[in-house]
Amino acid sequence: MVWLALGCLLGGVLCGLLFFPPEVTAFFVGNSEWFLWGLMFLVGISVGLSKGVFAKVKSYGFRVLLLPLSITAASAAAGLFCAPLTGLDLGESVAIASGMGWYSLTGILLTGLAGAEVGAIGFLGNLLREMFSFLVIPWIAAHLNHYTAIAPAGATSEDTTLAVLIRCTREEIVVLAVFNGVLCSAAVPVLIRFFYGVL
Amino acid sequence: MTTILIMFAGVLVGATVFPQNLKKWNSRLQLGMTALLIFTMGVSLGSRPGFLEELGAIGLKSLIFALLPILFSVALVYPLSKRFLERPEEGEEGGED
Repeated sequence: MVWLALGCLLGGVLCGLLFFPPEVTAFFVGNSEWFLWGLMFLVGISVGLSKGVFAKVKSYGFRVLLLPLSITAASAAAGLFCAPLTGLDLGESVAIASGMGWYSLTGILLTGLAGAEVGAIGFLGNLLREMFSFLVIPWIAAHLNHYTAIAPAGATSEDTTLAVLIRCTREEIVVLAVFNGVLCSAAVPVLIRFFYGVL
Repeated sequence: MTTILIMFAGVLVGATVFPQNLKKWNSRLQLGMTALLIFTMGVSLGSRPGFLEELGAIGLKSLIFALLPILFSVALVYPLSKRFLERPEEGEEGGED
């Protein structure tokens, strides 16, 4: 799965950069949402075929909040360490890290709040987080545990990276990943404004 | 929101009318769609105007903002999930790949 993800990613970058004419690029980029929706429908079928998965998730109780809370806290804490390494202000740095992979929103919000360069770093940094998630999720699922495989995905665990999660974990984890993604995504715009304003 | 609704529609189809014997084909289709989606993201990234220049200018900083949050998240979630989420029967684990 890692090699497939890496091959597709590099192949796509090369095609977009060197080989595809604008109309072919426009076809892929313009239809990416349909590809995602098609995939999510198929993932939904897998979850539906798996009997008793919701009862299992329900049995976690309040512990289902552990993943989104710890991923959010860890991402923001990482921002504290990114600041001295990148030379950005503490507020900018923690705000970027709090994007948790939601690159489009982070880029737009931070461009408005802190200017074009910070916005661009917010965009690219979170885009790279999503890209690397595709590559590390299979390894984490195989060598650590399935819950931890959700950690790199952050806010994207409800859509794009869910595709890799369902390949490498199990249906119960997919439901936890969707729950995690929804909560992290809801937190992203609040956290970015908060940390940028307060720190 | 649309994504979640579409996934929910898939859950309903899977739980009611989807034949169990086509599960393998559903899994193969998912793999193909996953590959297509990642490829499309690559195309989108590579076709950004000034992508290489941008990568050169802010690439290293962006890389730090990608790697550290991933490392911190994994470092925190792993021990907590071992302690609070893993069930005794999950000895653990290892996915398909």
